[in-house]
Amino acid sequence: MSHVATTPELPVRIAPTRRVRLADNWRRNRFAYALITPTVLFMVAVHLVPTGAGLYLGFLRLNTFTFSELFHAPWVGLQNYRDVLFDELNPLHAGFTNAVKNTVFYTVVTVGATLAIGMAIAVLLNRQFPFVRTVRTLMIAPWVVPSFVVAILWQFMWVSDSGIINKILVDWAHVLDEKPVWLLGPNSMWAIVIPSIWRALPFTILIFLAGLQAVPDELYEAASIDGANAWRRFRHITLPLMKPLIAIQLLFGVIYSVYQFAIPYVMMGSNPGPHADLLMTLVVRQAFTNNLFGYGAAISSLLMLAMLGWVAVWYISFRRSLEPAT
Amino acid sequence: MTKRRSIEWSLNALAYLVVALMLAPIAWLVLSSLQTSSQLSTGTYDFSQPTLDSFRTMWSAVDFQRYFLNSVIICTAAALLATTFAASAGYALARYRFRGSGAFGLTVIGTQLIPGTMFLLPIFLGFIWFGRNTPFRLFDTHLGLILVYTAFFTPVSIYLMRAYFQGVPRELEEAALVDGCTRFGAFWRIILPNAAPGLLATFVYAFLFAWDELLFVSSLTQENAETIPVGIRTFISNYQQRYDQLMAAGVLSTLPVMIAFFATQRWLVRGLTAGAVKG
Repeated sequence: MSHVATTPELPVRIAPTRRVRLADNWRRNRFAYALITPTVLFMVAVHLVPTGAGLYLGFLRLNTFTFSELFHAPWVGLQNYRDVLFDELNPLHAGFTNAVKNTVFYTVVTVGATLAIGMAIAVLLNRQFPFVRTVRTLMIAPWVVPSFVVAILWQFMWVSDSGIINKILVDWAHVLDEKPVWLLGPNSMWAIVIPSIWRALPFTILIFLAGLQAVPDELYEAASIDGANAWRRFRHITLPLMKPLIAIQLLFGVIYSVYQFAIPYVMMGSNPGPHADLLMTLVVRQAFTNNLFGYGAAISSLLMLAMLGWVAVWYISFRRSLEPAT
Repeated sequence: MTKRRSIEWSLNALAYLVVALMLAPIAWLVLSSLQTSSQLSTGTYDFSQPTLDSFRTMWSAVDFQRYFLNSVIICTAAALLATTFAASAGYALARYRFRGSGAFGLTVIGTQLIPGTMFLLPIFLGFIWFGRNTPFRLFDTHLGLILVYTAFFTPVSIYLMRAYFQGVPRELEEAALVDGCTRFGAFWRIILPNAAPGLLATFVYAFLFAWDELLFVSSLTQENAETIPVGIRTFISNYQQRYDQLMAAGVLSTLPVMIAFFATQRWLVRGLTAGAVKG
């Protein structure tokens, strides 16, 4: 990967000073620096500076009364964090704890199911059968449906008395005796989990399928000759080879699920209720509907910290399995 | 051998069943947009007599045309800009090992860890500040959203383009340099044309994601630059029970991205899987 040096080699090798090395780096990579400069400036302006400002706002008492003071709102130190995390009397504390529980449940179920079902379908489609290319292509379609459409479509399908899902479950298949209410109460978590899995599956299948196609057939043939059945071949050949792909899907799946916003927000409004309220809907509601900007910024900072923690845990657990593949 | 045959056949049947199940909700979206409101609310569907009434009434009931146009303008511009940034930065990352390239690559992917709400409020305040202190209006304008979306979808686009450039043979630009091309000339005239499918795929990818964005557009617009997701939210709060029109709006908002995706899926799928499989 090292770049071909355009400068002639020095006749006598002298350890170059830091200055020389910097100048050399600059001369050889001038074009690369020119290429990244616009992107760097842009990302500093729209990503990094606002993120820093957001962290700062978490330490301010910024609400309806102090909003006009913007960044000069009263500094309250860690008060917002204390209120959200530990103050039993603060109504936001209960809402936050509940949203954390919901978000953890939502993320674990969505990501877990997406990876497991996605792997099963990818294995199923990694065979030769009539129309296999068409099937693989059509399978991606749900990923292209915008998530706000996913939300209105499934909301319509979940409607209790006339929705198609209850019609199928109760009127046609008689799986259940009574039509359950999906969009309110304890079921409402499933009302957002299932569409999320449906929309996330195609991408996971796509990635796993690409990985499976790269596995040499000889491995399976050799294992078959040795008498390994289908499950053992999957367990001892496929799974270890797919580990890096599973790891990457897990990493980003968790991040995207924790930051899920559109599906609950469009399906159930700015307050999805105690059973389906996720952290993102909570933050947006508290910050932009109730004008509790300081709290919103504090919770966002906590979320970012939690995600950094997740990346660290992920890296420690998967470091080994990533190295040989990349 | 016959046992093996029957297993093969049942696996094939299972594959068809799975794809049918995956597509069923989309089929239902289209089918119900062709029904009348009363058919949908009572559940007495009649698929033999589809009607386009819902599209007509929806088009006149909400200002869908305006939302649609806003979406097209904002998403096209943002995706173009993101692809431009991604092409240059992705090329630098693919071909050069410069001081800070590791840190730059890490920061780019690290932006994905920041929750949208973290920078939404500062951007909102910044936009208002800009409107008061400079002649540039960013709040509730196309320009403001284009800038924000470009920044959002640039990071992943950079990784897509980097994967593409890594697949373009190095000999191409080495030959161009020997022939007296400048580095920029080699990039512009040799590499970029060779990466055209990658550019297209990256553009479509950024477009798909911008089309889907709801959080920022709902807070940074008021009455001028709202896109389709905001329009649909407004529609729900005003006409809760008109499912026929809502499904019609859903069909119309899905159609452009479906077409864009399936027209370019050969290249897009290759780009996405190459990036992911190589890591």
